[in-house]
Amino acid sequence: MSGYWAGILTILAINIIFAYGIFLPVATGQLNLGGAGFQAIGAYGAAFLSASFALPVPVTIGVGMLVAGITGYLIAFPLLRTRGVYLVLATFAFAEVVAGLILNSDTFGGAMGLSVPAFIDWHVAVIAAAVVTVFVFYLMSTRFGLTMRAAHDDEVVTDLMGVNVRGVQVAGFAIGGALAGLAGGLYAHSFNFVEIQSFNALVSIYVLLYVLLGGTQTAWGPLAGATFFTLLPEALRTVLPALKSSIYWFAGVEGPVAAPDDSWRFVILGALTIAMMVLRPEGLITRTLVERISFRRSNTDKGALA
Amino acid sequence: MTALMSLTNVSKNFGGLTVINDVSFDVPAGARMALIGPNGAGKTTIFNLISGVYEPSAGEIRMEGREISAIPSRNRIGLGIARSFQNIRLMPHLSVLENVMLGQQARAGSLTDMLSPLRRSKWRREAEDLLDQMGLDTFPGEVVATLPYGIRKKIEVVRALVAKPKILMLDEPAAGLNNTETANLKDFLMKIAASGVTLIVVEHDMSLVRSLCDHAVVLNFGEKIYDGPTAEVQNDPHVLEAYLGTRHAGKEATDVA
Amino acid sequence: MLLIQQLLNGVMLGSVYVTVAVAFTLTIGVLNFLNFTIPTLFMLAGMIGWALAYWGLPFGLSGPLSWPMALFFGVVVSILASLVVERFTFRYLKTKYGDSTEHAIPLVSSLGFLLVLENLVRIGYGTDAQRFPGPSHDLTMNIGGIFVRIPQLVSLFLVVLIVVGLTWLLKRSRIGRGLRAIAENPDAANILGVDTRRVVPIVFMLTGLLCGLAGALFAVNYGEVSPQMGEDIGTKAIAGMVVGGLGSIWGAVLGGLIVGLIEMLTIHFFGADTVQVAVWGLLLLTLFVRPQGLFGHNSIGKGKL
Repeated sequence: MSGYWAGILTILAINIIFAYGIFLPVATGQLNLGGAGFQAIGAYGAAFLSASFALPVPVTIGVGMLVAGITGYLIAFPLLRTRGVYLVLATFAFAEVVAGLILNSDTFGGAMGLSVPAFIDWHVAVIAAAVVTVFVFYLMSTRFGLTMRAAHDDEVVTDLMGVNVRGVQVAGFAIGGALAGLAGGLYAHSFNFVEIQSFNALVSIYVLLYVLLGGTQTAWGPLAGATFFTLLPEALRTVLPALKSSIYWFAGVEGPVAAPDDSWRFVILGALTIAMMVLRPEGLITRTLVERISFRRSNTDKGALA
Repeated sequence: MTALMSLTNVSKNFGGLTVINDVSFDVPAGARMALIGPNGAGKTTIFNLISGVYEPSAGEIRMEGREISAIPSRNRIGLGIARSFQNIRLMPHLSVLENVMLGQQARAGSLTDMLSPLRRSKWRREAEDLLDQMGLDTFPGEVVATLPYGIRKKIEVVRALVAKPKILMLDEPAAGLNNTETANLKDFLMKIAASGVTLIVVEHDMSLVRSLCDHAVVLNFGEKIYDGPTAEVQNDPHVLEAYLGTRHAGKEATDVA
Repeated sequence: MLLIQQLLNGVMLGSVYVTVAVAFTLTIGVLNFLNFTIPTLFMLAGMIGWALAYWGLPFGLSGPLSWPMALFFGVVVSILASLVVERFTFRYLKTKYGDSTEHAIPLVSSLGFLLVLENLVRIGYGTDAQRFPGPSHDLTMNIGGIFVRIPQLVSLFLVVLIVVGLTWLLKRSRIGRGLRAIAENPDAANILGVDTRRVVPIVFMLTGLLCGLAGALFAVNYGEVSPQMGEDIGTKAIAGMVVGGLGSIWGAVLGGLIVGLIEMLTIHFFGADTVQVAVWGLLLLTLFVRPQGLFGHNSIGKGKL
């Protein structure tokens, strides 16, 4: 496999895991706009252990994941005292505080960043993403997953049905935090370098949009969202120059065509977001859609048996 | 009959507004009780107090002799208190089956139950069986939001029922139903009552109340004005006054009920 | 003496935050909507202003404009952009199920606009910071060793004027009564004859105006614009709004000034890198300990987005 595709697959795998990390709290109805903070904890945890103590990769990533998960668990209690706009702002502020603390810490290299000596192959990230995907699908198929989705729809009634809503939401933040931390740890070891600028507020926004555009009702949503938006720039890299040169050709402009600006991908992400919120705010993949596809499949199954 | 549940001098204030004022009544085990009164009398508030959405400002609520005001709302369904809602409160993005399975939560809260897949589980089979029994032949995988009103109303009752409650509180179960549907509902509820479940029903349809319930409590402006057999409620002077005002009392007595 | 100078700088910087924070608090207070396009509207005024002052109107309609003229057009563009945002975020808000994802629709759309507008500006003008050709930097008064730049003083005066004007508008005018009715209860306001579709765009026009003015003042006072200029200011303004209390204009004023002062004092005592921790830590603490802020009402923003 060429380095180009290995790099893309690594990023794809990391983004899928990261998206699942944000999906879990969002599935319980809690918008988490602090994804970058959890990812940074996992990444810096792994980077620090690898750089300073030369611990083996499974340990560094595992510890980073654990620390991010525990942070998610602990921060969930004050976070969940806030609601709505306040919760969005609080998660956002959490990520900024994490970034600020790392920026001021000499242990973590401050603004200089940290080099990570141990390198992992693209296989590792891809296998991790597969395991995480299966795990989240499993989680959503259990009664725990059912209570998460119920809490998203109506907290009061879910509580009256006997569900510990707060407990479910805390678990969403904790497991989600751990997954985002795992994404961070894989990032650190795949690219051998971490700097705090890579975990800025825009990263939190992107990953939340992946999840919301993919759909929050099923575990298919984040997978679809993260995959689509990770591969989109690669597709654009081929499509946009062709488009641009054909426009130039129509306009009668001769000569070489400069490659279009990389920012176009974010324009497209933003425009799709706006369009989706108007046309299909539940996200691309909904319960009804999944139900319809599987219903059709089971119908044909029956037909085959008869 | 012994009292399964009893309210003693219960009051509820919101700010300076008294919504429930010193209400006491007993719910005998096996009763089919109606809770009636004009709009704003505090019927739904009583349900919210019993199910724990609100805490009473004063007074005691006892279930099988045990004071429950301090018990968190989420644990009350486990004591055997289940309810439906005035405006259907099913989870719109869950399927019929999933909504019903949510009702089992109080019996399925253990870690193993929480973390084993629902597919092919005994919980799922139980929910499917109950839906079958209740004649809800809609496709159980259908997402609830797309179903007709009458069916959703029934699913809400099934969701409460699957918790295996001792007391089932229904908030206007017949609202929005036509005559045939109401008659069906009555048979449905009679069947439930026959299986030993105590019913408390908030209802405006007085013919349903008369044919379904054996006992009635009437509220007006948050105060209890009648507590007795359903058969005599329409002759009670306080009830007539509440519904019609004093001047008409006696004149249009038959219209009340 | 240096400390006094820093305090003064803090107030000057705070006045920019105040203007943007007032825009945030207005949309949250009236529409219960956290509008993430606000930092972009702020940036648009500055960047468009710079582009017009540098190149003039598009399609060769004119040569470079004088900077006040250019900034005027920049503010107009901000207002127009804000109206486009209204068209696609708020007007499509339908709550079918009333679940938590639905309440987030306008917020998520505004994140979409943030990406679109900021990146379009990047594509058009590049990512570098640009020098804004404002008034001469010599316009400085020296009052006993404290330097006061006259344009900043004028800005401060303007900000005070805007806030007082806005308060008057909300309290006394018919539009203000309509806005407050919607803030209280949108359905009831509709029944009482407040035409939401007429009044809501006014909120967005005011948002565009406030952000545009703040962007223009920033360009003049700090002499530099960039496509990223909104991010830092926007987030600090959010912090100011939260500290002051969501939905309260005077809260936003006080909060914006507090954040400006804290920023300058942190830089003075601990260095520039610690600003982020101080400001965001303050915000987090406020949210956890006193979510209603200094002046806010506890009800705003709860349960809904």
